[in-house]
Amino acid sequence: MRFRRKTRAGRPDPDVVLPPEGVPLRLEIAGLGARLGAQITDVLITGLAAGSLHVLLSALGLSAPRTLTALAMFLFFVIRIPYYVLAELAWNGQTLGKKLMKIKVVSHDGASLTTHAVVLRNLMKEAEIFLPGTLLLTLDEASPVSSSLALAWIVAVLAVPLMNSYRRRMGDLMAGTHVIQLPVPVLLSDVAEAVRARAPEKPGDGFAFLAHQLDHYGALELQTLEGILRNAERRDLSPAAHRAQRETLAAIVGKIRNKISYPEAVETPDHLRFLRAFYNAQRAHLEQRQLFGDRRADKFHGQDGTGNGAKKP
Amino acid sequence: MNEGDLLRSARFRREREADWQRLETLVSEAEKHGVQRLGFEAARDLATLYRQATTSLAIAREISLDKGLLDYLEALTARAYLSVYAPQERVGGLVARFFRDSAPRAMRRSVWYILAGFLCMGLGALVGYLLYFENSAWYHVFLPSGLAGGRGPEASTGFLRSVIYDEDPAVSGLGAFATYLFSHNTRIAIFVFGLGAFLCAPAILLTFYNGLVFGAFVALHVERGLGPDIGGWLSIHGVTELSAICIACGAGIQLGLAVLFPGRDARAVALRKAGRDAVKLAIVAALMLVAAAFLEGFGRQLVQDMGARYGIGWGVGALWLAWFTLGGRRRG
Repeated sequence: MRFRRKTRAGRPDPDVVLPPEGVPLRLEIAGLGARLGAQITDVLITGLAAGSLHVLLSALGLSAPRTLTALAMFLFFVIRIPYYVLAELAWNGQTLGKKLMKIKVVSHDGASLTTHAVVLRNLMKEAEIFLPGTLLLTLDEASPVSSSLALAWIVAVLAVPLMNSYRRRMGDLMAGTHVIQLPVPVLLSDVAEAVRARAPEKPGDGFAFLAHQLDHYGALELQTLEGILRNAERRDLSPAAHRAQRETLAAIVGKIRNKISYPEAVETPDHLRFLRAFYNAQRAHLEQRQLFGDRRADKFHGQDGTGNGAKKP
Repeated sequence: MNEGDLLRSARFRREREADWQRLETLVSEAEKHGVQRLGFEAARDLATLYRQATTSLAIAREISLDKGLLDYLEALTARAYLSVYAPQERVGGLVARFFRDSAPRAMRRSVWYILAGFLCMGLGALVGYLLYFENSAWYHVFLPSGLAGGRGPEASTGFLRSVIYDEDPAVSGLGAFATYLFSHNTRIAIFVFGLGAFLCAPAILLTFYNGLVFGAFVALHVERGLGPDIGGWLSIHGVTELSAICIACGAGIQLGLAVLFPGRDARAVALRKAGRDAVKLAIVAALMLVAAAFLEGFGRQLVQDMGARYGIGWGVGALWLAWFTLGGRRRG
């Protein structure tokens, strides 16, 4: 479950962290679902450890029936507090649950995560998560006042992460941290390079585009085309999917030819080659415009008179 | 195919691709085994290649429209950033530093907040004590029956004395230790700290209320002529335990004041600044509560003599005070 975050105009984008190098990096805020999952995993792990230790102590005859619950609570407490702090220190902001959900704690200001921050955010976890948790377990019909107080506390604690765009809980606010989704680097091949390798431009064979034909589209359309071309390279498609893809390509070729008023007809086997050539020419053109300070975000770039590609509503 | 044939951005990518891939292997190695395990050359390369990658990313954002490349560089640089700026402190040194320097210094810096905590508790105790002598029915108002354990104005003096000097032997050792740790007072301490972070007033009120309970309880025993005895019974762990509650209250007040009166900072910033000391106070309070539970679980049954109880209780209190006042002072 992921709630939509409000981004107000003028506020910095919450998904961007500014490291000391000064190049803003994109680190997406972790969703509440992932964080809940990590929390549940960690509680299970520490609970299991406390449970087995408790069984061991009982087997050794070190616990009396009268103090069973107190001892269990004590063991859980003694195991979980160092667990969170030490795990996040040793694994750089990740507990086992966070590793599983591929999320991580980072410092809010882009500097490195300090020990103080790790200790603080995990101690506040006691007041924020485990106290409401135990309160929830001990809610009692007989005492409506304390029950409603406990409920109010739980609501207040749950409301804090929903109120800010970084999804920070109270401990995060105090420690100056927030939790991000780990990005996965995958280097895809360069679509432009593939074009040159497969279609050496011989006169008469290649497709030529004129400058005014390349003025229609912007970066958004170019990158959409890039995605389609990457998809078209896949060889593991079923016959039906293959046919559907051919139809899509034909439709795109038709749209592009119409838009840029490309005079010659393109045969069906040439569709992919045409799109690759167009992608290449369009990218060269747009990158050159960008070098000259003319950044074109999408096909509406010329409409507001500044050429900066203001999006249509 | 010659180089000049390629797009400018494709040439840019081709020149740097090997470095990026080396960085990617270094980063995954660092993530798996920790930066400390990297060899000298690998660690040096990680830092250099990371900075080169940030530069590449900045350039690529300007000159390239290849989304595959941009996404890759974004993710790679972010991963490398997370490994390069990882916390690099040793846990052992950290613990030693906390006990030697940072905890006593934080205590001395927040001495006024802690005194405010003691003031809340002390006023509460005074009021509770005086109210009991005015009308002993107040006792039942302050003390929940579960906590009193049969000790009330109706109980005989003999019963009260027996509780003080003859513990129930069914609960002892580790189990008793755990029971006492999670008794009333620990919950109070956690609440006092947590509520302080959210708002100031509940922390003060709760500490005051705890003082009321304490005052009424002492007054009951004083009325029966058991004053010195209950003093000993409470001293052995109470000096440590009640101080811990006051310190937790002090930390709570510190946080609450930061939220209520942030000064020139934003509230979140003020809370963060106040948190630096408050969290150390909370850890100290937690340690004191564990020590108190230890004294209560083991010490109170082993030591039945009143004088020894006073001695142990206040002696331990003096040790705490010595740690707070003398620890972490710079020599020379």
